[in-house]
Order: sequence, then C-alpha cells, then structure tokens
Amino acid sequence: MITKQLVDKIEGEASLYFELEDEKVSFATVSFPHTRGMELMLEGKNALDALVITPRVCGICGHAHLMATVRAIEDAYKNAGYEIHLSEKVELLREFTLVMEMVQNHFKWMYLTIIPALSKLTNSSQELTPLKGAFAASIATKAIATFAGQWPHSSYMIPGGVTADPTNIDILKAQSYLSELKTFFEKESLGVSLEDFLAFDSCNDFTKLSSDVGALNEALLKTDMHIKGFADDTFIVLGEHTFTEVTKLKHTRHIGVQHKYVSTEPSYSPHEKTYAKNALYKDAYYETGPLARSLSNNFAIIKNIHRRYKDSAYSRVMARVFELASLIQHASSLLKKLDIADTSFTKSVDISKINARGVGVVEAPRGPLMHTIDIENGVIKKYSIITPTQWNIGSSHKEKPTPAQRAMIGLTKEEANFVFRTFDVCSVCTTH
Amino acid sequence: MARVSKEERKSGIISAALKLFSQKGFYVTTIPDIAEKVGMSVGNFYNYFTSKDLLAKELVLYISQYLGDKIRAINESDDSSEIKIQKIVTMYFDMATEKPEMIEYFLRVYLSNREVFGEGCEGMTCVSPFITEMMIFFSDGVESGELHNQDFFSAFGLFMGYLGGMVFLFGEKILPDPLEEYKESISLNIYNALKTR
Amino acid sequence: MHSKQDKKLKLLWFQGVTCNGNTHSFLNLPNIEQLLENFEILYHPILPSIYSLEEILKLEENCDLFLFEGTYDPLMQHNGVELSKIVDYYTKHATHVISVGTCASFGGMFKATAPERNSGLIFNEEESFGPLLEQKQKVINLSGCPVHPEWLSYTLSMIVSDKEVEVDELHRPIELYSNLAHHGCTRNEYFEWKVDVDNFGEKEGCLFYKQGCRAPMTHASCNKILWNEVSSKTRVGTPCFGCTEPDFPRTDMFSTKTNMSIPQDTPLGVPKRSYLTLTGIAKTFHIKRLEGKLIDYKTTR
Ligand code: SF4
Repeated sequence: MITKQLVDKIEGEASLYFELEDEKVSFATVSFPHTRGMELMLEGKNALDALVITPRVCGICGHAHLMATVRAIEDAYKNAGYEIHLSEKVELLREFTLVMEMVQNHFKWMYLTIIPALSKLTNSSQELTPLKGAFAASIATKAIATFAGQWPHSSYMIPGGVTADPTNIDILKAQSYLSELKTFFEKESLGVSLEDFLAFDSCNDFTKLSSDVGALNEALLKTDMHIKGFADDTFIVLGEHTFTEVTKLKHTRHIGVQHKYVSTEPSYSPHEKTYAKNALYKDAYYETGPLARSLSNNFAIIKNIHRRYKDSAYSRVMARVFELASLIQHASSLLKKLDIADTSFTKSVDISKINARGVGVVEAPRGPLMHTIDIENGVIKKYSIITPTQWNIGSSHKEKPTPAQRAMIGLTKEEANFVFRTFDVCSVCTTH
Repeated sequence: MARVSKEERKSGIISAALKLFSQKGFYVTTIPDIAEKVGMSVGNFYNYFTSKDLLAKELVLYISQYLGDKIRAINESDDSSEIKIQKIVTMYFDMATEKPEMIEYFLRVYLSNREVFGEGCEGMTCVSPFITEMMIFFSDGVESGELHNQDFFSAFGLFMGYLGGMVFLFGEKILPDPLEEYKESISLNIYNALKTR
Repeated sequence: MHSKQDKKLKLLWFQGVTCNGNTHSFLNLPNIEQLLENFEILYHPILPSIYSLEEILKLEENCDLFLFEGTYDPLMQHNGVELSKIVDYYTKHATHVISVGTCASFGGMFKATAPERNSGLIFNEEESFGPLLEQKQKVINLSGCPVHPEWLSYTLSMIVSDKEVEVDELHRPIELYSNLAHHGCTRNEYFEWKVDVDNFGEKEGCLFYKQGCRAPMTHASCNKILWNEVSSKTRVGTPCFGCTEPDFPRTDMFSTKTNMSIPQDTPLGVPKRSYLTLTGIAKTFHIKRLEGKLIDYKTTR
C-alpha cells in the first residue's frame, strides 16, 4: 500500500510516498512538485546578471548561490586566460558573510523545524519557542548586512572582489553582533559557554546540559534517533573554504575528490511528477551537510558520536548543532584577520571579453552547491545548478536508495517524516 | 528720439564686440574701440560690462545660447535623425554665412584664448546650452535606433569638427564654392558616419 | 484569555511561485513577536500555524487577511488543488489582501517561469491584469525583492489599528513608496556633483553613471528604513537594481544604459535637458575633497 504525506514547513513543499509493511516504511520516494526554470531564465543574459538572479534561487541560502556564481564567473575568467587574484580581505569578507548565512540557517532549522517536529513526534506538551530561532537569525543577518548591504538577496560579491569598502566601524559593529549572538546562544540554547561547549569530546557531555540543546539531545535519545535514520555512512564535502576539508568519506576514511566527477540523473518518482534530479559522485550517492563537514574536519565530539551512533538521525542533528557553535567561533576569527588597508576589488577585463566555462563550488548550509556557467562574449550560453538537497534527498529505485530514502526505511510514517527533516530539506533549491 | 532700452544697448555692444574681436583679435581690441563703435562713452560702457574678460564670457554664452535655441527647435521636431542632421548643418552654415562673426569668435577667440575663460567659464559652463542640445540630439538618435551608440565625444568631434573645418576653409577663402553647395553632401557624410551599423 | 484571542484577525500566508525570500525577510523583523500577537495565524509556510497545509487546501476556513508571496501561476497546484481556486476562495472573504514582494505585485523574477500566464495579483508588470482585478480595492502591493520586513510590519499594523493605507496607482502604500531609493544614500553628494567611480569596492563616488544604479528612478525607502536595520545596497557599493518597480528584473544590471555616453534614464521627473545642463556644469568643477579618497588606510589590522 502506498501512502502519501505532504511535507510542509521545510523550505518549500515536498511529497513523500511510503510503501508500508506492518506499519513500517519499506520504501519511500520523494517528489518535488514545483519548479521555476531558473537555469533557462539565465540563458542569454549578461553573465553578471547571474549575480542578481541566482540569489533568488533560495530565500534561506541565497548568499551561498551568490558565492557559487561569483566563483563560477571567476573560474571562467581564469579559463579564458584572465585569472583574477583576490585580496585576502575579499576572501575573508566573503567567507564571513557565507558563514553567517549558515549560522542563521542552523538557528532557524533548530527552532522552527527540528524542535517542533520532535515535539510533535513525542507528543510533548512543552511550550515551543520558534521565534528564538528567528531572533538569533536576525542578529546573524545584521552582521551579513553590515558588509553585504542586506540579507536576503544581497549581490555584493562581484568578479574581482566585493562592492563594499568597509571601515573599522563596520568591522567593530559586526563583531558586536557576533558577541550578541554568542551570548544569546550560550544563554538561550546551550546553557554553558561557547568555549566549554566546543571543548566537549563525548556526547555524554550533552546530557549535563539543562537547556534547549540538552532537551534536544534528550528527546532524540528518548525517541531512539541514535539507532534510527541511518543512511549509507558515506559523505562528501566539495566546497573549498577556511572551515572545510574537501573530501569524500567512506565511514571515516578520507578519499580525494574532484568536482568533475559530479553528475545528475532524473529522480525516480512513480506517483507524482517531480522536477528534481539526483546528484551523484562517480555514480554513487553521498550524504552532505554538517555531519559530512564535521567528520571531514575530524571534530573530536562528532567522531565520538559517529563511533557510537554512526550516521543516525541523532548524529545528523547534533552535528548541525555543533557546527553552529563552531561557525560562530570561526566567524569571529575571520573578522580578526581582516586587514582594512587591503583592496576590496581587483579590476579585470570586461565580461564581454570572456569566452569560457567556469565552475563554482561552495559549501551551503546543507552541503555542496555547484554552479557551472558557459559564457560566450560575456553572455550566458548555459547555466547549471546542483544543490545539496539533490545529494541528500534524491529519489531513486529500491535497489539503490539515496541517503534520505535509506534513512526512512524501517521507521513508522511519523518517524520517517521526522528523519526526513533531519536532512534540513530545501525544496526550492532542489528544483530551482 | 526713440529711447533705446538697456537690453538693446547690450546686444548692440555684443554685436559690435563680436565683429571687432574676430576682425582684430581679442588682445588688440580695446574697450574704447568697442565703445566708439557703438557710439557710447567708455564710462557708460562700464555700466554694461565691468571688464573685457567679462564681456568675452558673455559673448560665448550668447553664441552658445543662440546655437542651443536653434538646435533645440530642431530636436523638438518629429524629424528623423537624418533630417535633423541636414537641419543642423544648414543652420550652422547659414549662420557662418550670415553672421560669420559669431562662428569666427567661437573658433578663433574662445577656443584659442582659453586663459581668458578660466574662472566661471570652465569646461562646459559657458557652452552648456549648445552642448546640452547636441547631447539630446545624439541620445534621441540612439534611442530611436537611428544612430550608432558610441562615446559622446567621438560623435560630437566628428560632427562639429567637420563643420568647424569647413567653416574655417570657407573663412580662409579656400573653398571654391559657397558653403550652401556643400550642405547636402556633408549632411549625408555625417549621417553615414553616425548611423546604426 | 480565549475570548480575547477570538477577536484577533485571522491571517493566512500563502505561496505561489517563490524562493521563500519574503518569508525569510519577514523573519528579520525585530518586533515580530509583538506584531504577531495581533493575529491568529491560520497558515504560514514556516511559522507555527493552526492548520497544516493539507487542511488549508481543503478550503474550509476563512481568513481576514490574505498574504500572498510569489508569482501567481493559475495552473500551479498544491497537492492537486489549483492555485487559482485557492486564491479565489480565500480572497473572497478576506478584507485585505497583501501582495508580499515584487513577484506577487507585478510578476517579478518568476514571471519568466511561464511568461504567457504568470503575473502578480492585479498587475502584470505595469498593466492591469491578474486574478483579483474585480476586488482590487482590497489589494495592497508591497513590492520589493524581497519585501522589507518593516514595510510589511507597517502595513499589518495599520490594518490592525483600523487605519486606511493610502496607495499609489500601483497599489503601493505611499508612505513607503513615495520616496526614491536614492533618498538617503550616503553617496548623494557624489551624485549632486556628478562624481562617478570607475571601480567597485569604494566608499566614494556615485553608482548612477557607470554601475547601473536605478535608485533615482525607483520608488522605495531602502535608504531611509535601512535593511536589517544596518545598511542598504548602495551604501555598500552595490547598485540599486530597481527591485520594487514593475520592470524588475531588468537586464545588464551592473551597467548604466547610455546612449552616446548619456544615461538613457534620468532621475524620475527630471527632464533630460535639465539633467544634462546641470551635469555639464557640475562636472566642470573639480572638487578635490570629492575626487580623492575619504580615508587612506595605511595601518594594518
Ligand atoms: S549610488 Fe545610487 S542611490 Fe546612491 S547617490 Fe548614486 S544614484 Fe543615488
């Protein structure tokens, strides 16, 4: 028997089709019923217009799209023989605003998605505080706007640099938003200092917390999420950043990767039209996102969790929470390195001189985001976008399930719905 | 005796000065020369212009305004850019024939004695009415798709340099035929050089 | 407690073809908690709601305020229910309809997804068109890609306090859209004296001449009510793309369209002739302070 579940309160909507045996999911397919044809929309436009258009792929991670676009165009410059050397300040500013976008994402996901979903699963009567997530996110976005002008939908990254020319006043302001955020996180979410939290090396340490994160940890264990929601235990990280290690992992073994082996295939969706495509690396699916990044970074606590609970739903959720903490700290170190006297922009030849292909890969909140642009005399011939949710939440045949499909097998419908959300689903990105 | 208004007096001075400056040259011409030509005392002259430099600037403005008004009328017509070019060329050559002192002054005094026009007449300030109308002419032509989009000064130089050159040749009496005879071919040349490719 | 709740206005936020950008922009609102206390949220794509999407799609409840985000595509379906039916049903009883963002107002970014049928609720770009033409007096357009949270907050608060929101001919509140995005830009002095800038990444210079800034032709209060309470595009050197206007998105957005070096569009309401006269004169004066760097950083870190 096939049961359909309409999933909302993710980024966009999705449909889950469960095959049930004894009330347990034996197989699930996923459909993403809406698309906007953004790749086509880009064709024939001036390549620089992509800097305005692609952030509109997604309301929650548009900044990652902006960075993927700017990297893709800069790669095309390089391939056309006009390599642009970015100043350290540019790299740091871009990295900072990208990291802060992840921070706002993780806060929202924690308070607006995962805690409410878990509370529904446990029928908890505890009062929810979703607006904590919105509040924390709004401080993070203030820090972004200090350099990027606004969030969402900034276009402040341009080939050769950034449009902004900040002063020390701006840097100090960003620092103070960051410390406000840190204080909020410590007081409202963690219950201990950020430094203490980051020094945790065993998941037993979480049980000591009497805070939102402590409660989350407890509810996950109570619902057996540490022994549920396993995917393939293979991970991939493709975006090169100050906070990532580009690699592919089989369990915890690192293997080198090159983005040229990334491909897509149409999703398998027998019950409803879907616009999604699955992403693959050398013909295999991989889990992406915070768990992948934390394992590749060899974070002691995440390795500890993984040793015990593998790639369970618990590991996935707690890796996201831990990544949030580590990114807040990382963001502050980026600001400290900024040299105000550095240039914000390096001029190169006009875009109309460019005839080349370029690839831009970044880590977005949910994993690798890859843009490929073909430019002819400065005009976009072809544009292609592969988003993280296409990795995590592909939909394939029974014989070769994707990470999310595999993670839902053997669970009740309700559990499967929750596990689905542990991947932090972005429907708008998937079908762009 | 009919009373002559202050404005009429002023334009009398302007036209006399124009003639003298372009005939004798700017430095050689003195205020008494001009005053004598309009039949007024030197003292009275100073009621109109307090210095020769000031008069010189006023003259540029006067010519520029005159040209600007003429081109504005052409710009405001519904004609095509091709016809507008003919009209501007005609207007310019007619002016060179009928009021040669104006163009002469512009070419010989204004363009070759820029030190006089320093303060208060920098850059485009004194020729603004004329340049503005030429800008409008060019941008309208591009917007309607008739003219090729390029840098303003490349187009402006081509147009006005050409006309200035012809007037110079005419003034030097090198041209075998009257300017009138060249209107059509020159208009066509300008149009061909500027039109959309 | 319950009796008071009954009096709250029922709010329903629904999405057409969208990126969720307006939803996330709204979440930046500093006083979101207090504002939302005035409403009973029947449905919102992210915030806790009384009903699930599935329940809302049964078309049984009524709302007072219908907020629509995204481009209107009559053929779009949510769980098998056509968007045209959904919009039709909920707007009939609603006293106010708010188009949240440029997509819902004029078609915006995702008009291009299906240009032959997609539009805003009462406009297709500038032309009167869309599903709600017959009840257009109910519709308030809050254009912007995305909408500014404070603009939405203002509109909702006006409705809560039973005040009339006066709108312009494009149904945008005049208190928010009578300004131009140019008003309040930190580069205004460079605009006045016509000091342009060759490169991006500089505090100095105005972006109108080369970088394509649309702010002098764009109705919006971005430089008056700052984004995220801290800044704006033009303040960080990004040109305004005119995202509150019906013709958004335009093309060649990082360069100024010129005809023979003369900007094709001049500031709103300023005749080209007057503009050029002033420009020619202003450009004549070389003002040292405006041509040099404001700050010359030598120190590091
Ligand atoms: S950059 Fe744009 S908004 Fe700022 S002064 Fe120039 S035209 Fe106005």
